[in-house]
Amino acid sequence: MTEFIDVDVRPILRAGGEPFSIIMAALERLVPGEGLRLYAPFKPVPLFDVMARRGFAHREAELEGGEWEIRFMPNDGSVEAAEPTSAALSDGDWPEPVLHLDNRDLDPPEPMVRILAALERLAPGQTLCALLSREPVFLFRELTKRGHHWRGGFTSQKDAYQLTVRVRE
Amino acid sequence: MIGTSLCRWAISYFAVAIAWLLLAEVLIVAGFGFPNHDIGGPDTLVIVHLISIGWLSTVLCGALFQFVPVLAARSLYAERWTLPALALLTLGLTVLLAGFLGLGGHISGPPWLLPVGAGLLIAGFTLVVANLGMTLWSARPLPGPARFVAGGLACICVTAAFGGMFSLVLSGTGVGAQWPDLLVSGVPIHAIAGLGGWLTFTAMGVSYRLLAMFMLAPDGDVRLGRLAWLAGIIALAIGLVGGVLALWRMTGLNLALLLAAAAALLSLAAYGRDVLGLYRTRKRRALELNTRMSFVALASLVAAAILGAAFVATGSFPSHVGALVFLVAFGWLTGLVLANLYKIVPFLTWLETYGPVMGRVPTPRVQDLVAERRALKWFVLFFAGSWAATLMLLIEAPLGFRVAVAVVMVATLGLSEEFIRARRLADVAEPLRLPTGAAAPHLLISRN
Repeated sequence: MTEFIDVDVRPILRAGGEPFSIIMAALERLVPGEGLRLYAPFKPVPLFDVMARRGFAHREAELEGGEWEIRFMPNDGSVEAAEPTSAALSDGDWPEPVLHLDNRDLDPPEPMVRILAALERLAPGQTLCALLSREPVFLFRELTKRGHHWRGGFTSQKDAYQLTVRVRE
Repeated sequence: MIGTSLCRWAISYFAVAIAWLLLAEVLIVAGFGFPNHDIGGPDTLVIVHLISIGWLSTVLCGALFQFVPVLAARSLYAERWTLPALALLTLGLTVLLAGFLGLGGHISGPPWLLPVGAGLLIAGFTLVVANLGMTLWSARPLPGPARFVAGGLACICVTAAFGGMFSLVLSGTGVGAQWPDLLVSGVPIHAIAGLGGWLTFTAMGVSYRLLAMFMLAPDGDVRLGRLAWLAGIIALAIGLVGGVLALWRMTGLNLALLLAAAAALLSLAAYGRDVLGLYRTRKRRALELNTRMSFVALASLVAAAILGAAFVATGSFPSHVGALVFLVAFGWLTGLVLANLYKIVPFLTWLETYGPVMGRVPTPRVQDLVAERRALKWFVLFFAGSWAATLMLLIEAPLGFRVAVAVVMVATLGLSEEFIRARRLADVAEPLRLPTGAAAPHLLISRN
């Protein structure tokens, strides 16, 4: 059973702060085999990629009020593979995204350019997930023209739009 | 939401509108209308309607056809109505202007020109309001900015209804003779609904979204703009309903207008606070020229509000109303529209040209379609000219006013050239200009 160190970034984000360095600092303090339990006011999708590269798998659970509890576990085979993630449940038959983009702080229309460029690099049927600061109304038109499928919606905090695109097969 | 496509005719609306603006400026420079002629005279009515319908309403309709779907996250109800609406508005205005010219003795036209012109305009605005109204209706509950547009659409109906009645009175027909006093007391309502409700209120609403978008400022708070909207709606309701009641009872118009003005000031103050809030929370530090120029236009609105309140307090409002209207029409509305066209035209052109090949080949950025340094001097000329012209009206120097408007006209021509250069991709460096698979856009029509 994995031991967890708790990091609650909700007050930091509420105060307008930057939680990334605090998460990374907590990561440095972990002893081998220990995991990190993160509480965030939204689903920290961009972090999943960063943590995966550092050898952590994650489990996510939505809390009341749209907040999230994410458990990052060292990816040493101790993770129970059977437990489905809620992302997989919400995306039904779609495969896990192979690419996560955080386009929230980009000047429009840069988010659209990056998503379209990234899609060109994916294989048919693969998906990418992007966080945007608003609903990308002009992007949808290009996605439709190119035959891609997408699912999207505002995060429960209404502060970001999460878009998943599946490349045309 | 199935996504927003390009409105095929939005660029055409912009082009027709700029042509009307330039015509109005030429006439003012030539000394036609106020202040050389009576402020309520037929020649001034030509200028006023060239600017309010030909320029401002046409450009606003084009922009709304493109951006109401963005505000409401719905497709435009009927894209196919947009071109007939433009034709009706253009034809209607032409006939109306001919009617005014006949009234002023410049041409000998039949008396039915005014009501026919007004009828065509009403038909055009009906198509616009129905199209945008149905789009908004399908998107209830409306997000904040879209509510301003809904208020503006209601006001253009009031403006058009009064305009239609005036045309009957002015044409001397039997129907019009039933309302002999309508022109005297109805004109303030017609002007408030048009300039304040339709043009200013709608522009405020759209600017909430555009400013947030261009400054990368969070605008997700549902309370954003609520006070400005509520106070504005109350101002318009008091001004219009109170005004109509006062007309009917033949008394109390000034009280209604004073109360409306107080609510309008509150609305403008709340709007100013919201815009400053967006500015403070913006993530983009260096602002683009269009946003900076929007703020300059906003300063004109603030100046107009302060001047207006000061004139009312000192009892000199009636003698300065011409200068105030000019400042609102040029410093605020025209300045805001030109500043935003400077972003909208390159953006729509960029999307149309490079959207189909984006991600597959290297494409330029939107900013590569413009040369801000070159355009800045036109904006400086434009605002300097507009403020100087207002000053000349205040100190009653008609010749100085015409010279200042000549400067505004030169600036308008300069900016028009910038828009054309953007459409022609003239400022895009060559290897990126037309990559394989991209087609050059047409000057006046968008492919969608």
